[in-house]
Amino acid sequence: MAKYPFTNEATEYAKELELKIEDISEPILNRAEHRIEEALLDAPVREQLVKEDVEISSFPVAVMMVASTADKLMKRRYALTEAKRAFNLLKEEKRDKILEVKNVFNWKIRPVDDKPPYKFALFFTDYLKNATRIQAKKWKLVNRIVLNGEVYLPKYDTVRLLQEEVRVHIEKKLDVKEKIALPQNVADRVERLKQAFTKQKGKIELEGFPKEVVISAFPPCIKHMYDGITSGHHLSHIGRFTLTAFLTNISMTTEEVVNLYRSLSDFKERLTRYQVEHIAGARGSRTKYIPPRCDTLRTHGVCTGMDEVCRSIRHPLAYYREKMRTIKVKAQ
Amino acid sequence: MSVKEIETKKFVKNKFSEYYREHSSSIQPPTLIEKREFGFLMFKGRIMVRHKSFKNVDDLSKNLKTLVPSDAYYSSAYYERPEEKMEEKSWLGADLIFDIDADHIPTPCAKIHDTWVCNNCNIAGKGVLPEKCPACGEPRFNEKTWPCEVCLESAKIETLKLMDMLKQDFGFSSKETNLYFSGHRGYHLHVESEEVQSLDSMARKEIVDYIIGIGLETKLHGLVEERGARKARVLTGPNLEDPGWSGRIARGTYEFLLTATPSDLEEIRLKRKVIDTLTQHKETNLEKWKEKGPWGIIKGVDTASWRKIAQHGAEMQSAKIDTVVTTDTHRLIRLNNTLHGKTGLKKIEVPVTGFESFDPFKSAIAFKEGTLKIIVQDAPKFRLGDQTYGPYKNRQVELPTAAALLLLCKGRAKVKEEK
Ligand code: SF4
Ligand SMILES: [Zn+2]
Ligand SMILES: [Zn+2]
Repeated sequence: MAKYPFTNEATEYAKELELKIEDISEPILNRAEHRIEEALLDAPVREQLVKEDVEISSFPVAVMMVASTADKLMKRRYALTEAKRAFNLLKEEKRDKILEVKNVFNWKIRPVDDKPPYKFALFFTDYLKNATRIQAKKWKLVNRIVLNGEVYLPKYDTVRLLQEEVRVHIEKKLDVKEKIALPQNVADRVERLKQAFTKQKGKIELEGFPKEVVISAFPPCIKHMYDGITSGHHLSHIGRFTLTAFLTNISMTTEEVVNLYRSLSDFKERLTRYQVEHIAGARGSRTKYIPPRCDTLRTHGVCTGMDEVCRSIRHPLAYYREKMRTIKVKAQ
Repeated sequence: MSVKEIETKKFVKNKFSEYYREHSSSIQPPTLIEKREFGFLMFKGRIMVRHKSFKNVDDLSKNLKTLVPSDAYYSSAYYERPEEKMEEKSWLGADLIFDIDADHIPTPCAKIHDTWVCNNCNIAGKGVLPEKCPACGEPRFNEKTWPCEVCLESAKIETLKLMDMLKQDFGFSSKETNLYFSGHRGYHLHVESEEVQSLDSMARKEIVDYIIGIGLETKLHGLVEERGARKARVLTGPNLEDPGWSGRIARGTYEFLLTATPSDLEEIRLKRKVIDTLTQHKETNLEKWKEKGPWGIIKGVDTASWRKIAQHGAEMQSAKIDTVVTTDTHRLIRLNNTLHGKTGLKKIEVPVTGFESFDPFKSAIAFKEGTLKIIVQDAPKFRLGDQTYGPYKNRQVELPTAAALLLLCKGRAKVKEEK
């Protein structure tokens, strides 16, 4: 239970201990802070456990602390690290223990004994909800044994899917809309972590980590194509070019753009990657392309319904910059 | 549009109106009607009236009677507020829909009965629509297809393959799956089950890829080289009775080897020598399936060739569904027991058990009485019910209502002036 503090049992237990944020003990706060440090500052993940009650209670406290930052990237990183921690522990566990953890997520899963190397049979919707977030050929459903609604899995893959589930589960916990009021001593710790993270992030960004892409600042034409692509619709050549050039110019990585096209039925990884890299200027001529101007897009039927902002600009990138400015002003 | 065309349209609309007045009780509402969006394609201006919602089937039938649309649709999705704008509907889930349309299956007869004209340069061609105009490169066409028996028969075969996968692999019961004839050139399969409702389009896309076999790797289904005795490399592969795609690869390979002519083998680009070996050993080869399959047993057929054969075999096992319909979680789908504007036939439910002997050109006839005089410009030979008609070229004929309407709806004929 202490190993997997996100489970219902553990949550119940923490509640029983009646954690009040004002009087959380020093060891719990320390452990919570450490959890976050591990996640955000690439501190090595520690698997050895402190006292059980401390370990369990430190998790909801850490969640509260991270949630209070309202920093998306921070939240994502934290959830991922906690999920990876769980993965590393789970892959060493016996099958029964894994089957216990799955209860938390209401997975329909059962042990399998007569079909080596498979150890589990998982209901296909539970499989899909998680596997679609993992790239690699073996995760495509078509490359699995699917029988009577169940996907047959070896232990390692099952645990890997659980990691995804844990990640999303924690991300949801972190996604609180209301402002969280923390006592001063806890708020101070959060502030310290935040600053350390910002410093770290600066480093990461220089290493090519994407700045955040703000979809709500996309112009209508781009938004339309973006939504279309993510739901598997095909784009004209000019559409593809425009979308790709737009996204690489607002600092989406080649990887992320390629992933976007993955949902198309005629997706060819090598070719797509080549095209994206070409447009992003990572190949050949090394010129980075920019999307066409609005009037060109209009003649090609790519412009879909202008809005207020469109009237004041002549280029989709200008739209994005303009919109980002107003978003930032509002945020302040 | 010429005066004649307008008249024809009016005439068809009147007939549709007649149908909806007399058959309003046969309209079958979708499950949870109040959570669905409805859309109607109007005769006039071919405008789509969307974002409609109905509390019950009576309201819906009434609406059909007054509106008389050329085509009637409902959303595969369930919404909290179906009558609102898209962003405000609040999506609750969607049925899983499969569409198998002859348009996506290349049949030899498409060359005979399907034609297209480029909207831009007016060049014309026959057969399956090209992606771009071969003359000017524009992608927009005016297309004339035909609901032909041969085409529908191949759609049926694809549908049977799909149904097999949905049942064997995905475990859907016959209670959860409903099969329909679209009223035109294909079949629809609806899966209504709580378990699939919440799947997002990414997950649905994975199901699509599974059905079509996109991204299939024979390697991941056990077609691998292993080191055998004396370090010799042996190829092992899946077996006929293996579950899921493994078995399908094996069965597809078997079928392909059984039926392939040397030129078929050439088409998948096997080397001359490999083709000769395979043709010579065909019998022993097929025998081997009684044990472990022929993988690696025949000298002279290398791993790369086996992969090509297996990949092609797998392709024959896949079902050619329309990818977009299944992935779109906001799709509008034709309403059961309503008329198809392109044929005057109706969309009808097909009993799953009797599917193999199902005759769409009999069961989907909506107008069973009377005859009509029409002037046919151009129509291939076709059958409706037990009768065969045509081919016609610039001729005036008197036909049973259903046959005449089919030609009128397909734009192959005009009404004769009424005195
Ligand atoms: S005006 Fe420009 S930015 Fe706006 S939708 Fe049209 S093309 Fe896009
Ligand atoms: Zn043309
Ligand atoms: Zn045909």
